[in-house]
Amino acid sequence: MKVPDSSERLVNLALLLASCPRPLTAEQCRSAGLGYPVGQDDAAFIRMFERDKDALRAAGLVIDVTGDGDIEAYRLNAEATYARPVKLAADEVAAVRAVASALADDPGFPFRDDLVFALGKLGTAGTEGSLATTELVKDEASAGRTLDARALAEAVQTRKTVTFDYTNAAGESRHRTVDPYGVFFREGIWYVTGRDRDVDTIKTFAVSRIRHLDVNPSRPRTPDFDRPESFDVREHELLPFQIGPASATARIRFEPDAAWRAPGLARGRGALDDLPDGSVVWTVPVADFGRLASWLVDEGPGLLPVEPPELLTVMSDGLRAVVAAHE
Amino acid sequence: MSRHLDAGARARRLLALLPHLRKGDRIPLAELAAAVGCTAEEVAADLTTLTMCGIPPFSPLELVALDIDGDAVSVYMDPPGLERPLRLTVGEARALNAALDVAGYAPDSPLRQRIQEVCSGSVSLEDLERTVRAGTMPGGMAETYARLAVAAEDHEKVRIAYYTGATGRVSERIVHPWALVQRLGVWYLIAWCEAAGQERVFRLDRVREIERLGVRFTPPSGVSTAVTPDISTLPCAEVVFAPGVRLPDDRQWPGATYEPRDDGSTAVRIPYQSPSWISRRVIAYLGHAEVTGPPEVRGAVHALAADLLRKVQ
Repeated sequence: MKVPDSSERLVNLALLLASCPRPLTAEQCRSAGLGYPVGQDDAAFIRMFERDKDALRAAGLVIDVTGDGDIEAYRLNAEATYARPVKLAADEVAAVRAVASALADDPGFPFRDDLVFALGKLGTAGTEGSLATTELVKDEASAGRTLDARALAEAVQTRKTVTFDYTNAAGESRHRTVDPYGVFFREGIWYVTGRDRDVDTIKTFAVSRIRHLDVNPSRPRTPDFDRPESFDVREHELLPFQIGPASATARIRFEPDAAWRAPGLARGRGALDDLPDGSVVWTVPVADFGRLASWLVDEGPGLLPVEPPELLTVMSDGLRAVVAAHE
Repeated sequence: MSRHLDAGARARRLLALLPHLRKGDRIPLAELAAAVGCTAEEVAADLTTLTMCGIPPFSPLELVALDIDGDAVSVYMDPPGLERPLRLTVGEARALNAALDVAGYAPDSPLRQRIQEVCSGSVSLEDLERTVRAGTMPGGMAETYARLAVAAEDHEKVRIAYYTGATGRVSERIVHPWALVQRLGVWYLIAWCEAAGQERVFRLDRVREIERLGVRFTPPSGVSTAVTPDISTLPCAEVVFAPGVRLPDDRQWPGATYEPRDDGSTAVRIPYQSPSWISRRVIAYLGHAEVTGPPEVRGAVHALAADLLRKVQ
């Protein structure tokens, strides 16, 4: 008789657990002809059986453990395993299918494999030609770093401490030990935010500057740290002029013709107030007036500084310098 | 291309195939391959493996019963278990959340809320949203994205109100949406513009309104996904950046070439489409960049900077 390969054994085990109405012991599974090696010693079998259950759990099966004295038994929790159908509107299906087909082909997206399985489960996978493409990161070297981004995202969820070599923008390299709290993507680069254990401070690191990433391999099912309850990675996705210690609040006016752009450009930062004349005033924390002034020019027309006076001075001085240089 | 998978990953794909196998169905291999993210050859190998899987006593009635015939598979019996889709694992929920981030769906959008219903009990979407963000679009973009995606899928013309950054004006155009392209965090629509009589690229965050017209168009056989024009056809401006200034990258200035100078400054040759486009980019350096030619760009920079200065003062 042919000896089933490991993936056949796993499918057989999954089917057995799914079809059997009563809990099954490890020994019952072993003797059911699923493909466990004949003559295997007990310790090796238990290790293999544990790995198999982990693999099935990773695929989405919820396996409950029941006890009868010293003997554990296992059964599929059907309620927790099977999904109820989700009804998606036509535009939602089109949007999900388009973005997902694009990301599934983008080496810059760290979660490609999981995304394909998610779409299959949602029933939104399709055979349509590519309506959309994405290029999240700018070159192959950066795309290679997406493996690190995925490992960091996994470490965030499992709360495992990571170590890596990091070279900052000034070219200084140092070995870091970090409790990763969150990952985010911004303008072609993945970032990880977490507590730098050496200085006990929350910092953000560009994944493109990380080398030799290691996730603490010991006790993989036991978290190494608690994430602060108030942590929200969105608070670390700063606009370019907010990088650095926040020092002031600025008010920006979107003229009536540009007011519709305000929610998009504000990206949820600060407060937007509609004025009777149709304009919108944006009150936002700022760390660097020079960068804010540049940003206002770059994102214009229709965006003007209101206050504080230092912002107007920085912008006026800069514009005067431009005029003078191009006389 | 065939990829090597470890046993767990392959089993995951085999299990993902089971809910698609319904008694009496004849299913194209390409359809199954798309559903589980592999090639038709890989799915054929997976299906062959599944014919050897089942439950005790492994008689023909307890095995996965199917037959591959050419480019399709005929299914003779429902699988002996796991015939319904499984809930999303943490990794799958994270991936889907990240994808919806990229498409501009905010965490409180109804679609993302409904995703929770199909997640495993161990998944907290709120936790995922607080720890993983792949969002690249400004807020409120999901509706624009979804409407254009459905129009592109249906090959339906749309009228868009489009904001042009160089002029600050919004104009209406009828376009044939061909493809959506995201490059380094910015989404673009590649479309045929009827008014211009040629292909155009539009930034999604500058599309103010969309109206579906109920009129079909014939899509071209191949659509280029390039979002920048052929730079070899564009004029170049020369811009000198002061020493120590952070130089623009390829995303900001596609096709730029750099020449460091002895005094620490850098001369950059930049292909440009219009003087108004490059003027705003140069002025944003607030005196740390100077156009040395051509005169039309120098003049445009001077005029726009003077106009901005009047508004700021």
